[in-house]
Amino acid sequence: MVELTGPERVPGSMPPIPASTQLLAVAWLRWRIFVNGMFRKRPKGKRQIAGLVFGILLRLIVWPMLALIVVGPVAISGFLAWMAISEGHPKSLASLLLGIALLWQFVSINGLSIAAAMQSFDPASLVRFPLRFGRYFVLRSLLGLMTPSTIVGCLALLAAAVGIGVANASLALPALVVMAVYALMNIYLTRMIGAWMERWLANRRFREIFSMLMALFAVSIQFMNLQRTPMRGPGVRSSWLINILHSSGSYLYWLPSGFAAQAILLVKHPLAALAQFLGLLASTVLFAAVFAIRLHKQFLGEYLDEGVSRRVQAPSAPRAKAPVPQSAALSAPAASGGIFSPTVAACLRKEWLILTSNGTQLIGLLTPLIFVVIFSMNRAFSAFSSKYFLPSAIAYVLIAALSSLYNIFGADGRGVQLYLLAPIRMLDVVLAKNLMSLALIVTQVGLAWTIICVLARAPVPVSVQISTALWTVFVVALNLAIGTWRSIQAPRKFVPGQTRQPRGGTPTNRTSALLVLAVLFGCMLLQVPVAIASSYLGAPWLGAWIFGPLAVAAVFAYALMLRSAERLIFAARDVFAEELCKA
Amino acid sequence: MRCFSSEVPAKNLRYKPERTRTGQVLIQDARFLRSRGRSVYRGCKQETMTTPAIDTTALTRRFGDFTAVDNVNLRVDAGQFFGFLGPNGAGKSTTIKMLTGLLAPTSGSIRVLGGDLRANSADIKRQIGVVPEGMALFGRLTADEYLQFVGRMYGLDRATTLNRTRELLEFMQLAGEQKKLITDFSHGMQKKLALAAAVIHGPKVLFLDEPFEGVDAVAAGTLKAMLLRMIARGATIFLTSHVLEIVERLCTHITIIHRGQLVAQGSLDELRAGAGRIGQAGIQEAAAPPGLEKGSLEQIFLEIVGTDREGNPAATASEQELSWLS
Repeated sequence: MVELTGPERVPGSMPPIPASTQLLAVAWLRWRIFVNGMFRKRPKGKRQIAGLVFGILLRLIVWPMLALIVVGPVAISGFLAWMAISEGHPKSLASLLLGIALLWQFVSINGLSIAAAMQSFDPASLVRFPLRFGRYFVLRSLLGLMTPSTIVGCLALLAAAVGIGVANASLALPALVVMAVYALMNIYLTRMIGAWMERWLANRRFREIFSMLMALFAVSIQFMNLQRTPMRGPGVRSSWLINILHSSGSYLYWLPSGFAAQAILLVKHPLAALAQFLGLLASTVLFAAVFAIRLHKQFLGEYLDEGVSRRVQAPSAPRAKAPVPQSAALSAPAASGGIFSPTVAACLRKEWLILTSNGTQLIGLLTPLIFVVIFSMNRAFSAFSSKYFLPSAIAYVLIAALSSLYNIFGADGRGVQLYLLAPIRMLDVVLAKNLMSLALIVTQVGLAWTIICVLARAPVPVSVQISTALWTVFVVALNLAIGTWRSIQAPRKFVPGQTRQPRGGTPTNRTSALLVLAVLFGCMLLQVPVAIASSYLGAPWLGAWIFGPLAVAAVFAYALMLRSAERLIFAARDVFAEELCKA
Repeated sequence: MRCFSSEVPAKNLRYKPERTRTGQVLIQDARFLRSRGRSVYRGCKQETMTTPAIDTTALTRRFGDFTAVDNVNLRVDAGQFFGFLGPNGAGKSTTIKMLTGLLAPTSGSIRVLGGDLRANSADIKRQIGVVPEGMALFGRLTADEYLQFVGRMYGLDRATTLNRTRELLEFMQLAGEQKKLITDFSHGMQKKLALAAAVIHGPKVLFLDEPFEGVDAVAAGTLKAMLLRMIARGATIFLTSHVLEIVERLCTHITIIHRGQLVAQGSLDELRAGAGRIGQAGIQEAAAPPGLEKGSLEQIFLEIVGTDREGNPAATASEQELSWLS
């Protein structure tokens, strides 16, 4: 055994720990987590090749999209800022800055759950170390700066400053300084909102209410768009949002974006510009202070977990029960689940209980249907061709529903051990999970179908309905087969409806998400040539003839998958233990 | 007092101590110490009575309408190996979280090493070590990286951090696992690492929440020896464990919490004599249940937590008949 050297005595009054030591230690921690994440041990053999192929595909699809997402807003900001100054529309600059801030905050709020899931460590865990609050505040301000919304927002503001400088060189320096402070203001606003949201989202009920509000917000935007934007002809659409921004007029000058714009534009009146700049600084300090108040509560040990509402229950008196003879109990048939075997019935009941206790998931099931209602009421969508509207709407409903098929064991976490240990067939468990998913999909698709048939302006031809039904069977069966295979090969632990997911846990991992998109879009794309050929050849039943055999083949593939599920799960036990059962 | 600043001088001990290869005193068994006197160290008694390592007054924590810790007054003297026991959900982990500054109390005050925890949290955290319930390790670091990070956060200089990291990894038999990420460690290895991180800065008070859970017998022996050595050097250890045999063997003082309230406090002898029981009038000394040694901590524990506030035996699962079990 190794002998530890005698510890130096920690005296009562120790010299303070230099701030640089602790800040550098945290920076080093982040760096090591990043490096270790990059070079993490990867699977070998066939899984390595499959992972490599999927990884390359993922990057090929995601990187250009990311580049567009980053370059687009940045270029537009620079151009609009240049236009606002060169064409003498100072109000437009305030609107532009407000737009950047709104987009920044909207993306940040919506990305909160994703950011929490992607977090490799929880910065709040730093409170256990001997940090002073000031250092904790600095660390919490700095950690997490590399989020997409912050990067794109900062780049957009930099581009705006460059645009202003190009339009009027004398404004370049003030624009850079003001944009830097405006960026800081936005960062603290994001932090403030994030910290308070974290507090509120710790409560399950509030999470559900928040999900509902966000869904309502999205629906309201669509609904307002529907009400206020009648189709006037191709390319002639008035943007009510831009109108609102334009009509907001002088109110903008009382917002930080107005302070920032005025601080740049009034540079020839130094006192007025300084006053506006101070206004911007004051709002930055205000947001930082509100953020600090929240952080201080955390620092002092605020409880941020699910609310505990346990009540101390008096121990119940032992119930006198007639003893059941053991031989009788063993020989009695297990509780019947009606048409299902007891195992399937028990698993179905468990899935149902989890679903009904998860309001966020229920809202997620309902939201696509509301959109279908809105789209069906919009002539622009439903009247252009009923032939295309039904399959498009069904495909839209399926996008969200099908992704859950790709990680069916994720929500079980360590509970999956029970399935592996119990004297049951894993096939029954898979079947129960798929049946529950299938029931939800059938309900959603059925409701969407009914909504379209009732609300659409033109009746949907029977041939299109049959073709769409067969296409739906094909897509669902194919996704069930691939999703079940993927669920066994690459399970990922997650907690349904919870913001803070365990160790990179997500309902669907990146590769699975790519698979869902690839399969679904592939299937949707398959519809396009079939629909065109059907119109061109004047053969309305062509779709049914093509999708019918495909549906049968997909169902057959799913049946084959189910047959091999038992064997595959047995072979993947170590993967289950690795991904689902570890802390 | 010297006995808190460094290794306990052998002449101050009331028994013949075992010495390590380097000549350091090794205290193996607190029960052995207790059998030879009330205090482990001569000359320490007066100071331990005046400056408690942990002192709480009316400590209370509520979660909504549930009171997890109810009006707890704790006093842990410096140098004590303090066992904090209770059934599941009794409030042990909540108490530890409050004592280490991870959870704010709803009411009441906490003083650690003489300082108010709320007012001096950074200074106090610097002098305590914690192995929390969930271990709170950064899974994407290696053990070596984690210990280096912790050392730097506690203000150790680079050379000391590296030396102690190496020593601790060897001591905990983790030196061969340096390339593995912590997330790939077994539960027992994570426990050992968490303990190494808790002691790297030489804390004066060590809080251990179930430190032996999932740790193999060999490692548990090593850890116990290390903890006893820390006690010998003047540290205070606050331990919760469901393994009562370990508590009985290690701890000089024991407190039992039940439904958020302290129900017993004192040395094992005091608990045996029924002197340390709080708010439980007239408990009759019961015969030891089958298989339990009379006067053992387990028997005392079951006597205490198996009764309600008036001392009446509560209904226990053992009384219920599970006739279908073979």
